[in-house]
Amino acid sequence: MKVFQQGEYWQGRFKAMASPCEILVEVAQEAEARLLCEAAETEARRIETKFSRYREDNIVHALNNGAGQPVNVDDETADLLDFAHRCHEISGGRFDVTSGVLRRIWKFDGSSGIPSRKQAKALLPLIGWPRITWQRPQVTVPPGMEIDLGGLGKEYAVDRVATLLADGSTAPMLVNFGGDLRAVGRRNGGKSWQVGVELPGAVDSAGLKLDLGVGALATSGDARRFLLRDGVRYPHILNPRTAWPVMRAPRSVTVLGDTCTEAGLLATLAMLRGAEAEAFLAEQGVQNWVIR
Amino acid sequence: MVWAPRGVAVAAINKAGAVRSAIVGACGLLGLGGATAEATEVKTAILGYNEPDRVKAFEAIIDGKHDFANGKIFNFRFVYDALTGASATGAAPASFTQTFTRPSGEGSYQVAPGETPLDDTFRDTRLALSAGLTMPLNRVTNFSFGLYGSGEYDYTSLGANASLTRDFNQRNTTVALRGAFFDDSISPEGGRPVPFSAMPDEGIQKSKLPGDGSKSVMDLGLGVTQVINRSTVVHLNYTYSDVSDYQTDPFKMLSVVDPVTGDPRGADSYLYESRPDARTKHVFFGRVAKHLGRDIVHLSYRYFTDDWGINSHTLDLTYRWNFGGGKYLKPHLRYYDQAAADFYQGFLVDGEALPQHASADYRLGDMQAVTYGLTHGRIVGDGHELTLRLEYYVQSGESHPAEAIGVLKDFDLFPTVDALIFQVGYTFNLFE
Repeated sequence: MKVFQQGEYWQGRFKAMASPCEILVEVAQEAEARLLCEAAETEARRIETKFSRYREDNIVHALNNGAGQPVNVDDETADLLDFAHRCHEISGGRFDVTSGVLRRIWKFDGSSGIPSRKQAKALLPLIGWPRITWQRPQVTVPPGMEIDLGGLGKEYAVDRVATLLADGSTAPMLVNFGGDLRAVGRRNGGKSWQVGVELPGAVDSAGLKLDLGVGALATSGDARRFLLRDGVRYPHILNPRTAWPVMRAPRSVTVLGDTCTEAGLLATLAMLRGAEAEAFLAEQGVQNWVIR
Repeated sequence: MVWAPRGVAVAAINKAGAVRSAIVGACGLLGLGGATAEATEVKTAILGYNEPDRVKAFEAIIDGKHDFANGKIFNFRFVYDALTGASATGAAPASFTQTFTRPSGEGSYQVAPGETPLDDTFRDTRLALSAGLTMPLNRVTNFSFGLYGSGEYDYTSLGANASLTRDFNQRNTTVALRGAFFDDSISPEGGRPVPFSAMPDEGIQKSKLPGDGSKSVMDLGLGVTQVINRSTVVHLNYTYSDVSDYQTDPFKMLSVVDPVTGDPRGADSYLYESRPDARTKHVFFGRVAKHLGRDIVHLSYRYFTDDWGINSHTLDLTYRWNFGGGKYLKPHLRYYDQAAADFYQGFLVDGEALPQHASADYRLGDMQAVTYGLTHGRIVGDGHELTLRLEYYVQSGESHPAEAIGVLKDFDLFPTVDALIFQVGYTFNLFE
């Protein structure tokens, strides 16, 4: 962990969840700044370790290899599953934590490797939150199906870290994990954080510059991850009900919200609306930046 | 009395910004601290109501809601009504010009042969204020209480209410228990006439009941909201209501007609009405809200019955046709069918014994009513919502009842009433 002084605040930097992570804390002493930044890194790594789908020693692996048998989960995982359940319901089935199996056929590497409709259709029986038996604290994942909490992971981690830091200190702080960020505690003298985030797919590369007091910003969409065949762009956002990309999805959606999880979910749901992304966001009355 | 169902799923199919509120609610499951910011939402509306040749009304409504972001919600409501025009007195039409003393006892007005007697001095303004606080008792239980007060020239009402709601079954089921109490008092212009006393001639005192009239209302209700699946929510509700003391309308009367001619008898032709001083009501209400693609349909049925003998059925259907971008069109169709109170009668017959109670108020009679409406809503500016609503209401009953006598057979004893309603609404947030 490196901690640098940046005028009135301290900046801690580390890498986690495949992203550059940054913690800004407005405190006087380096020792206090270091303590907060280290607590942030520890929490971020805890969440990454616990919910990463690339590990074989965590709860996600246990769930997905339960051979159709019930698995007991801890409170935090249970809360996330309750949350996933509500998100499925709120989104009318568009947001589905079981859609990770689509990675088996969709590899968004910029190539023209489009799977066949038949291949896509064959995966549909393995997708669908209602097929998961979830009765807190017990969850049963049918064989072949997968739960992936990665779609919530980074934003959840930002909020968890921000909440943890705010519990221990009233200092103004900004938690930024690869552009998904949240500010807690108002800065002194009415100042705000000057936040710069990339808007993936935007023609000019200046990105978004924003003055943020308290609140959160999250982005859905990755302009570098797509497939291209016969001049048709297949965006990296999949509809779990068709196993096919949402063809008229924007390149990216960035949303301002109260928490990073809320903003991230709204951004994802907007992407899933495809051509209606802007209309959906207008209906929700949130500040947003859509790149097409 | 219908409760607004709580529960995120219901909110999700009721208003713009609902997915966001639902997500904010869901974020609460994760305990992500400070999940919501304090926010104040204000809804304003002005409404015009026009019954040609009868009542005209203007209404202004301000509805405020402040969310303290800690589970507590404060509600505030202000309603101003102004009514003017003519209202049916209950007296029957006659073959000659009828003269009626104004309720104050000062002055009189005349009604042409064959016309339904209307008192054209109907004029009132009403101011109503209510406020309430909802607070969480725990993760799944909310307690609310509120106060209500309204005043108009001759009527005041004070009320208090409390409710308890609890979520079950992973918030898919919400049960609500509610109680309300109202204490009303009426001091009409010219006093409260003694039931069945005769309308005196101009300048002569009527026989009056002493003091003001008072009425108390107690409501108890039980409601259940159930999420059936991701597109369907059902709400069921039962309300028991007990009303006691003065419920007679001091301005309504009945004609006493000749058993052969059907015209008013010569003397003491008009008697003030009389209603029982106790009433027990039961209301059963059910509503289904369903998403059809991006549209939403609401269908509700209400059954009302009371020990005055009134039974009514209401069917209400709205279809919210969403165009995206917060724009929608919402057609509305409502059908109402009512069976009369036991003591409802169009007139009294001279020479027959007086019943225990009687009223010729058309609102207590057999009737059907249909409302056709269309609402348009759109988002303007920074997430504010503008709505325009136009409705047409038409109410009809038995114009020529079998019991009509003599000339009354030729008159329309239950004229059709229609009304046009126009409302403009504007919803905005005070602080972001």
